[in-house]
Parts: sequence; structure tokens; C-alpha cells
Amino acid sequence: MEVFESLGKIFNVSLIYATFRASTPIIYAALCAAITQQANILNIGTEGIMLVGAFTAVAVSYFTGSWILGVAAAMGGGAVIAMIMAVGHIKYDSEICAIGMGINLFAIAITKFLMQVLFNTNGTFSDPAIVPIPTVHLPFLEHIPVLNELLNDWCFTEWFVIIFIIILQFLFYKTVWGLRLRAVGQFPMAAQTAGINVNAVKYQAMLISGLIGGLAGAHLSLGYSTQFVENMTNNRGFMGVAAMYFGGANPVLTAVGCLLFGFSDSVGARLQAYGFPAQFVLMTPYLVTVIVLAVSMAIKLGAVKKKQSSLVTG
Amino acid sequence: MSNSLKGFYKILITLVVALGIGAIFILAIGENPIAAYGALLKGALGTKLGLGNTIAGFTPLLLTSIAFAVAAKGGAFNVGVEGEVILGGITAAYIGVNWGFLPVPLLYLACFLGAMAVAAAWAFIPAVLKAYYNVSEVCVTILMNTVALYIGSYLVSGPMSAGTATPQSDPVLVTLPKIMKPSNANAGVFIAIVVVVLVILIVYKTKWGYKIRTVGTNPAFADYVGISSKKVFISTMLLSGMLGGIAGCIEVLGVYGYYLDNFAKDLGTNGMLAALIVKSNMTTTPFIALFLAVLKAGSMAMQQATDVPKSIVDTVSAIFIIIATMNFVVSLRTRRKAEKAAAEKRPQDPSSAGTEGKGGSK
Amino acid sequence: MSEYVVEMKNIVKSFGEVRAVKEGQFNLKKGEIHSLIGENGAGKSTMMKLLYGMYPINEGEIYIKGEHMTKLDPKIAISHGIGMVHQEFMLVNELTVLENVILGFEPKKGMTIDFDKARKDVQHYIDQYNMEIQLDKKVSQISVGEAQRVEIIKTLMRGAEIIILDEPTAVLTPQETKKLFEILANLKAEGKSLVFISHKLNEVMEISDRISVMRQGTYMGTVNRDETSPLDLTKKMIGREVFLNIEKDYSKAGEKILEVQDVWVPSQKETSKIRGMSLCVRAGEIVGIAGIDGNGQSELIEAITGLRKVEKGAVILNGKNVTNKSPRKVREAGLAHIPEDRNTRGLNRTMSIEENLVAVELDKKPYTKGIFMNTAAQDKYSEEMVRQFDIRPTDYKLPTSSLSGGNAQKVVVAREVSMNKKLLVASQPTRGVDIGAIESIRNTLEKAKKQGAGVLLVSAELEEIISLSDRIIVIHEGEITGEMAASEANENNLGLLMMGGAKNTKQKGEEAS
Repeated sequence: MEVFESLGKIFNVSLIYATFRASTPIIYAALCAAITQQANILNIGTEGIMLVGAFTAVAVSYFTGSWILGVAAAMGGGAVIAMIMAVGHIKYDSEICAIGMGINLFAIAITKFLMQVLFNTNGTFSDPAIVPIPTVHLPFLEHIPVLNELLNDWCFTEWFVIIFIIILQFLFYKTVWGLRLRAVGQFPMAAQTAGINVNAVKYQAMLISGLIGGLAGAHLSLGYSTQFVENMTNNRGFMGVAAMYFGGANPVLTAVGCLLFGFSDSVGARLQAYGFPAQFVLMTPYLVTVIVLAVSMAIKLGAVKKKQSSLVTG
Repeated sequence: MSNSLKGFYKILITLVVALGIGAIFILAIGENPIAAYGALLKGALGTKLGLGNTIAGFTPLLLTSIAFAVAAKGGAFNVGVEGEVILGGITAAYIGVNWGFLPVPLLYLACFLGAMAVAAAWAFIPAVLKAYYNVSEVCVTILMNTVALYIGSYLVSGPMSAGTATPQSDPVLVTLPKIMKPSNANAGVFIAIVVVVLVILIVYKTKWGYKIRTVGTNPAFADYVGISSKKVFISTMLLSGMLGGIAGCIEVLGVYGYYLDNFAKDLGTNGMLAALIVKSNMTTTPFIALFLAVLKAGSMAMQQATDVPKSIVDTVSAIFIIIATMNFVVSLRTRRKAEKAAAEKRPQDPSSAGTEGKGGSK
Repeated sequence: MSEYVVEMKNIVKSFGEVRAVKEGQFNLKKGEIHSLIGENGAGKSTMMKLLYGMYPINEGEIYIKGEHMTKLDPKIAISHGIGMVHQEFMLVNELTVLENVILGFEPKKGMTIDFDKARKDVQHYIDQYNMEIQLDKKVSQISVGEAQRVEIIKTLMRGAEIIILDEPTAVLTPQETKKLFEILANLKAEGKSLVFISHKLNEVMEISDRISVMRQGTYMGTVNRDETSPLDLTKKMIGREVFLNIEKDYSKAGEKILEVQDVWVPSQKETSKIRGMSLCVRAGEIVGIAGIDGNGQSELIEAITGLRKVEKGAVILNGKNVTNKSPRKVREAGLAHIPEDRNTRGLNRTMSIEENLVAVELDKKPYTKGIFMNTAAQDKYSEEMVRQFDIRPTDYKLPTSSLSGGNAQKVVVAREVSMNKKLLVASQPTRGVDIGAIESIRNTLEKAKKQGAGVLLVSAELEEIISLSDRIIVIHEGEITGEMAASEANENNLGLLMMGGAKNTKQKGEEAS
């Protein structure tokens, strides 16, 4: 019976928020990767963009005392990093994986360097002077038991991510720019013959991706926590890229993929408290993603094969 | 010849630019870049301990960089070397701890072969997914690195735990002798050098190497002349995995004497970095690996001597790689010439006019 | 004002060293259907892509509605009322038909695309020209014929008055072609001017008002439809009356080397799928495959050589069943193969001449010593090949990317022929090479035949097929439409078989002769 008791402690209402909370930074990261993926650029540098964003947010918030400036600066920092990648990839032919990895290493190093120079510390920088992103307190929920626990005191950027998913979904599938973006990603020649400037669209996608990646970092360092830690993104950027693959760069599906990561992260943390090897839970989303990638590609190949067959008349 | 000379110049120029940017950072924090770089070199090469640490750092980097480069020769972007190092390490630790029934020389052999086999098996997964289902090996290997990390972590905190506070395994029964005490340099460096020389020989002198290079440069040609591009691709990944496994084994037997959780952190990444800087050129990759090892080993001494944070070294290496991936340092002059020519005479190449390159040049 | 809506005068266009258009002339009257015909590589598509501004011209003048166009790109062309339906559809598979139609010219409502207005606009054209189009399906789900109608709607939506159709029927079934022609007739009735690029003479005769012919990048003249015949056009297209028929000793043909038995082969394109093809090649003969590009030649060759899956049927080489065997196994059974595309398949351009020469014999002695390559033997062999096949430059350590087209092809030929295999498959062996190399490559094929090999030759050059082959097989849309001894073949009877075979053109051909 102890088992059930433990299970009850693990799978309770607060797990829902814990899952969402753990997922949010990954969702931002995944959206950062999704927008460039729509233009057929695999943004391996998401991790680095995010890390630079996280650092910039903390630094600016610390020096100015304004979380808004911190977030804005983070987005700017992310955009700068993304544009370095964009110029390298689009103009100077850099292999996207190579320059993306370079950007990730650069981000780890430069944030470490600046942390030492600006704050004279190693590892972790936390200070009361860092103004975090505020939480949203809803007084009317205070007396409703479950909903209060579930919805109250969310960080501002946690609410915003929901809106943001919808915005991107709208941007991709309802606007002129989104249509052109998808056309550029899937068949640049077609876009070009329709009079669209293909490279301009790619630059724009990278720029927006940088802004989102910066925001992802800002949320991580000012919302999810209130500190900067060396390499604090801790593979969240890569998880985002994986979730983006899982969701086929569709914002809503991508976010669902991220919840999978968040869920196993939260459950893992709880299971660990009960002596269960958390590693197995933690590795599940990675394994699931690999399997999903393989199966979806196999299905795609099967469809192509059928279409090309000489035995069926098309 | 002129091509490799050009490549050499490009690396040299890139390096100077990267060090220059690093120098600007150092100046910006009010320090003397020449003094800093000098202290770095002295720290890495000037003392016995420094030299030992450089060699200790160089050993795994040499193997992981060649592991990445050889995969690249066969057309794979193998980010999974780190996972292969981890699993090679844990396998070596398992065999090294538990197979005491073997005579010592055989136990050494078993550790290395086991590490190679398991790491190769691990690399087999993304290889097959890529070859037969066209799943991006970049994505799969990144994901699998984390899985490998958790597997290792689980084993040394659970079944293989030594019962200590830090997750680690029991000490292995056989170790590689240290060569420059008190540093971590060990006989593994000789193994690594021999292995790398063998791999370079394989790639350039054997039939298998020829096939790897053929598949990596033109898989359609390979299939047409009767070389199965899929099978060779997979075999290349297996070779790459084995090299990662050897690196893991050397770290466990040579540096630690046991499996320490998270010991492989950044080993794969830095190896990849070294290979990427020279576009996976097999003969220059080891030198870049050595160069990076010197930078890393010397960075601590630099920090102590000059107040320049050691992370400047990683920053410079990262800038180095970012610039090295771009195709403009050497071609800048030729590009200008081409642009001038193009301005006078309209471009004529249909392939460039037809592809995306043209779309945005307005 | 000139009577023409389009005039192209003295056009020259080169791609690198290849002169795609040497002397191009073209004009278009308002409200006519003007066909532009010619063999593959005659420059007809290039001419129209120049008009659409996809590449800049090197020399010449282009006038659209009397205006001299000094600068031209697709955007400018579109704004001057030109629309083009490309041979390869410029449609994004994962987008819906409606999205594809409005791409680049989207009607807006606030921040969003005004899909309602778009739908109404498109529906207007659909009704006007009586086209069947499902607007909400993804392009990947619609048929080729429908995709083509979408392309036409696209040009109309952008206000095209002049519509270029690049080989529109190449991918259509006869029924779909009929539908297309109805639409074209409607468009003409509405006053649109149409350019119809094709090499199917029966279709050209059916639909055109005027017909212009191009051959090898040169304008060969324009005729009114009513004043010409398919035979007449064929002569103009193929040109020179060459009869290089060398004395052939056909009686020497020996046992069957290659048998293709009722083979079915998949393809990306419907018209290139091979559905039940049988043929054989005997020792000591050259069998030529004649046909318009893209009618299954590449698929057939790939199926024989092990590079493409055979879905049904069997390939027997030298008595061994090599159906769906690996290319290596097929080569071991006695295949040598000069592929149609030397730059992607025939050569590894980043590797040296030597490394390319030894590629197929790498595993055999003396080129190998244990697991190592025997560089000395490879050097000796390369030296011999460079000399024997007159490959220049003679430094065999140079990468093949530094070779001219002719010399690059000589490397391929040297590698494939030097091993004296039983079957030599040669696909477009002289495409894009200079005269000297053509001569030497053709001699090499002759020599292989004399030494007792069976040769299967695929070429888009009818003259090459006729002068080299002993026996000729004509294929069209993945099926054999005719077979004859080379002595009976001429450009006319082959040409007619190539254009669709007995069903369509035979009658007209017979009438004419």
C-alpha cells in the first residue's frame, strides 16, 4: 500500500504545474528552432542563443533594476547571436551544424568570461539586486482550492508562452509572411519564381528566432529562476530542437512535445526522492523522440515508394 | 599542393583573427594580451606539471577529434562521440572491476575491446537510422548523448556504485601507468597516437579508407561503382564509435582508475571543435587538438598569473571555429575579383542562378 | 507598334562553356498559339526562361509589347503580363492549392491573408475556363494534370496575357492532354497569347497556329501550321541528312548476353515508369535505345545495372539472374557501365583521375595488397590508361574536377572499357563533349563490340543511334513502341515512333511518305 501512497504523492495536482513549469523554457527554445525550421534552417545554435539571452537578462536586470529592460536586452542579445549564424550560413556558406555548434561553444565561453569579468564570480551568479520577471497573482483564485494551486502565481512569461504559441501558430499559417516563410523552406525555387526574395525571408526568420531564443533565456534566468549559472541551459536548447522535430515545426504540436520533456523531468525529480533511479525517467523523452523520428521517416519513405511504384497507376 | 597550402594559410589567418578578437577582450578588461598569452604558453609547456596536464588533456581530445573527423570523411556529422566515450568508459570500468579472473594482459585487452564494441554498437543506431531511414544523425546523436550520460550515471549510482558520496565505480584492477606525475598524463597517450596513426593509414592507404572517402564525397558514385554507400556509411560510424570507446577506456584506466560520473563532459564537443576547425582534415586535426589542449592546459596558469579569466581561452576557440566554418577568409580576394567580373559581365552559371543563392542578392 | 506582343532578336546565351542558345529568334502575335519545337537541348526551354527573366541574356534584344526590356527578372516579367508554366511545377507540395495560387500576391485583410477574397478570385478563373481544381487539397494530393491547371491559374491570377507552357504534355496522360487543349483553346479565345514548347509533333500539329523550330541552339525557321507536315517538321528538327551507317557485320551476333524479361520499374515521374519491358542484347552487337529523354531510359538502365529496384520481372546477365542484385554483383557478372551523368555518378569530382580509374577494380589484384591499396600498380595502370585514351592533362594525380567535359568522359570510358566486360551499357556517352572526344568514344564502343561484347547504347542523338547500332529499340513512356534493324531505320520512322508510337503518329507518317 505504501507504493500507492507514494504514487499519490508523485502524481498529484501540483505535478501539472510542475510539468508546465519545467516545459516552458523548452517551449520557448523549441519555438526558436521551429521558426527557422520553417525556412529549412536547422537551428542547432538554439542552445547558444538561449544561453546568451539568459546571461544578458540577468546582467541587465542587475544593473538597471528593470526586468523589462533585462528581457528586452536578452532578446537583442539573442538576435545578435542569431544574425552571426545567419550571415555565416546564408552569406558565407557555413555548414549550419558546424556554425551552430560553434555558436553554442561561444555562448558557454563568453558568458563564463563575462560572469568573471562583470561579477567576479564562477559557477553561479545570484544577487538580490537581480529583478525577476514578476509572477501574476490572481486574488479571486485564492479561495478556490484546486485552481489556486494550479493557476495562481504563475510567472508572467509562463502565461505569455501560451499566448506566444498561438501567435506563432497564427503567424505561420494565417499571415502572408508565414505563407512565404513556409514556401521558402519547402521549395525555394517556387518562392523565387513567385517573386519572393528568398534570402531576405531567411534572414528575417533567423532574426525572429534570435529574439525568441533570447526570450527563452530570459525566462530561464529571470522567470524560472533568478540567477545565472554556467551553462544553465543544460541541453534545453537541444531538447527544444528535438521537440521541434517531434512536432514537425508546428508550434502547437511542438509545444506538446516539450510537455513530454517537462513531464518526465518533473516525475523524475519526484521519483528520485523515492529512491527510484531517476535516470530512466529522465532519458525517456530522448528515447521517445528518437523512436518518433525513426517511425515518422519510415512512414514517409513508404509513402514515396508507393507513389513511385510502377505496379500502381497514378 | 597549393590547395593544402591555401588551407594552411586560411587556418593561420583565422587563428590570428580569433586571437586578435581575444586580445581585444583582454584589453577591454584592462589586461595585457601579450602577457596573458605568454603566461598561457608558459603554463602549458613551460613546467613539467603543465606539460603533463597538456598531454593528459590532449589524449582524449586526439581520439575524439579523429573520431569526429573520420565520421565526417564518410559523410556523417557525428555529434555522438561524447556518448561513445561515456559508454566506452563504463564498459571498461565494468570489465576492469569484475573480470579479475582474466590474466592481466588479457584484462587490458578485454577492457579496450569491450569499450570499443559497446561504443561501436551505440554508434550503430544513428548510423542505421540515417542510412536506411534518412533520420538526421545530428539530432539522433545529440539526443543519444544524453541517454548515454544517464545510463552511465545510473550504473555508477546504482549497480556499479562504489558506495561513495560522488557517483563513481569501484577502482579497476588494471590501470595505465602515469608518465609525468603528479599530472594525469598516462601511457594512454601512446596508445592514442598509435591508434590515430593507424586510422589515418586506414583512411588514406587501405581499400576501406578509399571507400569511406568515396562515400563521404559522392555516395551516388560509390553505389554506381559497386561500393555500397549505406554499408560503408555504417562501417564508418562504427569506426568512429570505436575511437570514442578507446578514449573512454583510456580516461578510465589511465586518468581516474575508476568510472567517475560525467567524466566525459565536453570531451566529445571539444574533439568535434578541433575537427571542425580544419574541416575534418585527418592530418591537421591532431595538431588542432594539440593546440586546443595547450590552450586549455595553459588557461589556468594564465588566470593565476594575469587576472585574465581562463574562459577567454574557450571564447577564442569558439570564435576560431565560427570563423573557420565560413568560406571567406582566403576567398575574400577571389570573391571580390569574381564580383567585379560579374558586375562587368553578367553571371553565367545556371546552377547559381537557379538556386536560392540568387533570390536574395537584389 | 509592332504586330507582335513578344519579340526576341539574335539571342545568345551561354552557361559556362556550353552555348545553350547560339542564335535565337522568336516572336509572338496576340491571340495565337505559337509552338516552339526541337530536340532535347535545342535551346527551346532556355529561350523561354530568358523571356521570363530567369537568366540574363548574353546578347540580343527582347521586346515585350513593343517595349525594349533592358533588365528582366521574373518579377518584371510578371508585371509585364508574362506567365510561365514550368516543366517542373513550381508548387509547394505541403501547401494547399489555394495557398500556392496566391503565393507572392496574397490578398490581405488586416494582418491575415484574406482567404475568402482569394477563393472568390480563383473561383472566377476556374469557372471562366471550366477547370477542375480542388482548392483545399494539398498539392501533394492532387494529380499531375490538376497541378498543371493550378500553374495555369497562377499565371492568370497574376494578370498574365502571355503564357509560356514548357513541355506541358510531357507529364500528362492522353485524356489529361485533351483537357489541357480545351483550356488552351479557351484561353486563346479570350485573347491570351500562348507559347507551347514541345517535341510531340502530333500535338503541335493539333493545337498551333504557327510553329518555330530550333536545333542545337539555333533558330531554324517559322511555319504556319497549315503549310507544314510532321515529316517536314521532323526534318527541320533533326536536320542534317547524315547517314554514317558503317558497314556492319550483324551476322556475328552470338549468344544472349543480357536478357530483360517483362521488367517493371518505379519512377518519380509517371511517364518514366517502366511497365513490362522485355529486350535482349547479344554478344557482338550494339543495340540502340532511341527515345525522348524522360521516357524511362534512365530507369531501364538503372534497373539493369542494379541501381534501381525492379518491382517485377527479371534481368539475366551472362546467364546469371541479377535481378535486384547489388551493383557490385551485377558488375561481377560482367557489366561495364558508362552512366548518363558523369558529374554526379560517373566521376567523383573531388578525387584524382587515378582514384576514379581504379574505383571498380579496387578489390582485385594487382591493385590491392591485403587490406592496403597497391599504389604502384595503380600508378602503372593509370599511366597506361592516360596514354591509351589520350586523357589530358596526363598528371593522373589531379582531381577530375579540373578536366574538361571530353577528358572527364574519357576517364569514365577508360575505366569501364579497359576491363573487357561482357556487357557494356553506355548511356548518353557523348553528351556535352567535344568533337574529338566524340570520335574516340564512338570508336571505343565499336571496338568493344568487335571484341565480342554486347553493347546497349542509349542516346538522345538519333544520328548517333543510327550510325552505331545494329539493332534499334524505340521506347516511349516506359514501353517499347518499335524495334528494327539499323539498316531499316531513318530519322523519320524512328522520330515518329519516339513521338508516341503507332497509335498516334503512324497514320500521318504513312500518309506523308
